[in-house]
Amino acid sequence: MTNNPSSQQRRSALYRRHLALGAQFELRGKALCIAQYAEQAHQTEQQQARCLGLCDLSTIPRTGFKGSAAIDWLKTQSVVLPSAINTTAEQPSGSLCAQLSHQEVLLLSDLRCQSEDIARLNQPIDNLAEDSFQQTYELPRADSHCWLAITGSEAARMMAKLCAVDLHSDKFRNGCIAQTAVAKLSSIIIRQDLSDTLCFYLLCDATCVEYIWDCLLDAMDEFAGQAIGIDALLQLHVKN
Amino acid sequence: MNNRLPLPYGLLIDRNKPIQFSFEGQHISGFQGDTIASAMISNQSWLLSRSFKYHRPRGPLTMAGQDANTLVQLPSDPNALADKQLISENLMVKGQNYSGSLSRDRGAILGLFSRFLPVGFYYKAFFKPRGIWQKWAPFIRKKAGLGAIDTQLQPDYYDKEYLFCDVLVVGAGPAGMQAAIDCAAAGADVLLVEENPITGGSLNYSRFDVDGSKGQTLRDELLTEISKQSNIKVMTDAVCNGWFADNWLPIIRHKRLYKVRAKQSIFCTGAMEQPALFHNNDLPGVVMSSAAQRLLHLYAIAPGSSAIVLTGNNEGYGTALDLMDAGVRVNCIVDLREDAVHDDIAKAAMDRGVKVKLGYAVYAAHSKTGHRLTEVEIRKVLSPGQCENSGEVLSCDLLCMSVGYTPAYQLACQAGGQLSYDDETAMFTLTNCANNVHLCGSLNSVWQLDQVLMDAQRAAKTALCELGLSESSVVSSPKTGEASPNHPWPIFPHPKGKEFVDFDEDLTIDDIVNATADGYEHIQLVKRYSTCGMGPSQGRHSALAAARLVAEATGRSVAETGVTTARPPFSAEQLGHSAGRRFFPARRTNIHYRHLEANAEMLQAGSWYRPAYYKFNNLDKHQCINREVTNVRHNVGLVDVSTLGALEIRGSDAAEFLNRIYTGGYIKQPVGKARYALLTNEAAVVIDDGVACRLGDDHYFVTATTGGVDRVYQSMLKWNAQWQLNIDIANVTSAYCAVNIAGPKARAVLTQVCDDIDLSDENFPYMGIRSGHVAGIPSRLLRVGFVGELGYEIHVPQHCGEALWDALMTAGHDHSIIPFGIEAQRIMRLEKGHVIVGQDTDAMSNANELQMGWAVNRKKPFFVGGRTLTELEKEPLMRALVGFVLDVSDAPTPCESHLILQGDTMIGRVTSCNYSPTLDKIIGLAYVPPEHAKAGSQLTIKSTGGILVNAKVAELPFFDPDNQRQEL
Repeated sequence: MTNNPSSQQRRSALYRRHLALGAQFELRGKALCIAQYAEQAHQTEQQQARCLGLCDLSTIPRTGFKGSAAIDWLKTQSVVLPSAINTTAEQPSGSLCAQLSHQEVLLLSDLRCQSEDIARLNQPIDNLAEDSFQQTYELPRADSHCWLAITGSEAARMMAKLCAVDLHSDKFRNGCIAQTAVAKLSSIIIRQDLSDTLCFYLLCDATCVEYIWDCLLDAMDEFAGQAIGIDALLQLHVKN
Repeated sequence: MNNRLPLPYGLLIDRNKPIQFSFEGQHISGFQGDTIASAMISNQSWLLSRSFKYHRPRGPLTMAGQDANTLVQLPSDPNALADKQLISENLMVKGQNYSGSLSRDRGAILGLFSRFLPVGFYYKAFFKPRGIWQKWAPFIRKKAGLGAIDTQLQPDYYDKEYLFCDVLVVGAGPAGMQAAIDCAAAGADVLLVEENPITGGSLNYSRFDVDGSKGQTLRDELLTEISKQSNIKVMTDAVCNGWFADNWLPIIRHKRLYKVRAKQSIFCTGAMEQPALFHNNDLPGVVMSSAAQRLLHLYAIAPGSSAIVLTGNNEGYGTALDLMDAGVRVNCIVDLREDAVHDDIAKAAMDRGVKVKLGYAVYAAHSKTGHRLTEVEIRKVLSPGQCENSGEVLSCDLLCMSVGYTPAYQLACQAGGQLSYDDETAMFTLTNCANNVHLCGSLNSVWQLDQVLMDAQRAAKTALCELGLSESSVVSSPKTGEASPNHPWPIFPHPKGKEFVDFDEDLTIDDIVNATADGYEHIQLVKRYSTCGMGPSQGRHSALAAARLVAEATGRSVAETGVTTARPPFSAEQLGHSAGRRFFPARRTNIHYRHLEANAEMLQAGSWYRPAYYKFNNLDKHQCINREVTNVRHNVGLVDVSTLGALEIRGSDAAEFLNRIYTGGYIKQPVGKARYALLTNEAAVVIDDGVACRLGDDHYFVTATTGGVDRVYQSMLKWNAQWQLNIDIANVTSAYCAVNIAGPKARAVLTQVCDDIDLSDENFPYMGIRSGHVAGIPSRLLRVGFVGELGYEIHVPQHCGEALWDALMTAGHDHSIIPFGIEAQRIMRLEKGHVIVGQDTDAMSNANELQMGWAVNRKKPFFVGGRTLTELEKEPLMRALVGFVLDVSDAPTPCESHLILQGDTMIGRVTSCNYSPTLDKIIGLAYVPPEHAKAGSQLTIKSTGGILVNAKVAELPFFDPDNQRQEL
């Protein structure tokens, strides 16, 4: 069955956990995503997402670029760059550009996986510039990092059990990025609200995804947080 | 007889919820909100514990969790503070530190031998005469410690949480509440922390006016104001346990440690009442005045029927009024001051007809029962510390001491505050705290209630200015002519001693004075010599008295003498608070569950989980490992090597960079070829190794060891920050999964799932690199031979690892493929004589010692460590790593670090050793002097149990010396 994660070439390390929770997988673009965790769970998971939800987005396309020419190169590729480092810029296609430093950018696909940006940018880069010191290098972010979404009004309070950065909404604005540690794991936290629902994207070492997933669920238990499917996120996200 | 008082007494108890518990097997009744101590006292039971050294009977002193007199044993927790621990239904409580029973403790006999246990007894008795400690140690071990640990305890869940605020206010008494209100009103986010179950502090129990209502009225007003401010978060039952740089403060509340980061801190931690020193001042029934007031107002308990108040200030008169209001007969107020100036409260007490003795002291306390105060002897004070030769005996069952305070200075001192002593006020004061820390209230030596509120407003304003939320200029502390509550010398030595300075350690006046006479004049030395201040109370009630005594004995001022350093934690912390919740970022490869499904015995290699070997049928561990080795040598095996470090070096200077970093030559390395990469540091010590694969003119993929890659990556970044070569370095370890398929049938298996790479030896020779697809997965193949067999290391995107594994295991089914773990891998690499960095190398190993001169390119101008290696080569080798062999026998197989001996002299050590199923011999590697390195030399190894085994040096590799198998 095409919707069975164990038959896919690319498999999140969490798929067994998701299956055990009753996850229903669906193809979104070329990515096999968790739509929801039970049949007819749309309403419940949407409410959960408003309170505290955790969603595994690890199969959704993403990529990264670094190098002295990376920013300029991305502009030539019609990528809208953020106004400052450690902030994000939403692309016309719905994908997200996150600038991590003067020379490094992370690109995340839209949650519906309809954007072609990632695939387009992942073509071989022509680095035959006259100035060999101006270079752009691709980074394998789709595999080096897992991608999780934490949503809801209790998200910042829950994250305070794992992270020393103050993520409360009045201190950590929408579109901001924190490169810090979560549960002793080097992580990238991006605040990207879904309309009026607080949402953090958490990216960290893919080989630690089970560890961080367990940490997050444990921390969420106090606030009745639960895993949710991507459909709950999409319902909250209203495209402008 | 029940001594409960009616409402409105009892702020903390709920009379509608009675609770039964037991103490030492006796049933005790109390109410919800009672502590163990308050419930005991309500049942007229004051004996809670036995003192540490002399086993003296002890009862509550402060009723504030500040003294160790109340340490009791709970079912799973030793050393619980009975005056803080709430009672619960059927709670079973026991005393501690007694022999026999709490009421008839055989250990009390030690009190008769106090002259033989002088100060410094521990220090003096344990090393003279020589060897005496061996006799003392078993005795001390039996006697040492307080309480019993439950070794079957299942740990509770402890965790941590960060909290952020603009202003942290520690202490929710009047000063703290006022400061919090002012800060919040100006727009600051405020966290108000209080260690007691309710806010209010002294407003809940102290007397501030004649009719005794001012405290409660003010508390209600302040609480109302606080409730109006949505930006004040109040935490009760929460202890601030320290101050660390940049206003990082740990708050302990229940089973959570809050890690608070505050922009500004305001400490309103108050002051700790101090005891008077007189004979038997430790008897149950002798309490601080504030303890009596807490019992009255918080727990609705009349603490006695017949009371004496010993005072050196007017506050004691307020205590007397409180007692009389509650129906307790106050027999006498013993005022240390001959020329006391009485305020309205004092006059009101005197107007009630209570006897007042001015210029008198309590000289001794006595007990006719042995467990509870029954009378005191008072005498006229002639001069500081001196009384008349006789006095008057007064009956009582309660003595309240009100002779002064010490600021709760601990947090302030951790924040840089300096204690100084004012001779005029006879008290410590604090100055010079960090810029973002402010003190107010009695901590700041402000006592009168209205002045306290003004001082809090001052502190709040200062904090707000620092935050940019106030532009008003800061005013100084409103310390205007207040009378000090501290009596300068409430210390009265007695010929029979037992005037306790430190209740925890049973230290008396003589002990402190004798410590200085023994030559330990500095307060820090007095502490360590006498153990004064080292008990659970940590000097809360001994620091001031000790400083005064040491000052007098050494002819210095109290300011010069000072107190010992106050270090965190402020109060006892459970280990769980520090340890829990434990975060261990475990790393797993994408193939992890396939290993578990194949019955792998997993082990931890750093943060990675790796399969050590795979259990099979009823074979034991070694049999399983041997089976895996044999299968690789004869068929084909598959091992998960995803944990290996992986680095991408890209840019026009990539080859030059590798040439400088590693010992080998890389400038001329052809694209599509791999080369061994040996990494040394500037001292020429081998620190890592791997394989450097040239994927393009400007692109290298370099492997490193599992445990070393992060260090290698950092080292590369550091070097290139200096060299400024045109490269990019990326640590891509987590981006890839990798397997090694090895064995004579490896090619046959791989061919089934790889149709876009020519795997023949002609087109894909040993140490070649190819890119293509394996089972449809984009793959990078390296033809390398760590285990000495035909092998391919296949690197795929991380999330494709499991799919790759499945495909290869399926394809290899007909070729008897089985997975093998790192134990088998280690044996096979040993058979080939390959070193493992960190096992066969140490902090001094260079390439020559390892017989790896072949990995060093001598023609290039520079590599890290090259210059040092050149210098080292001017001297003879000190040692060499050699292979050795011994026959299988009944003798124990040598292990790593077993010594090589020549006679009784150690001449080397084993670094690796194992049984080789391929050779049916025991093989290993060892460091030996060069003169013993020749093949055929005999070695004597001291194996397990001291058994000597004989081995023979062998040429390396042990197996397939011409490397034909890996180059098939």
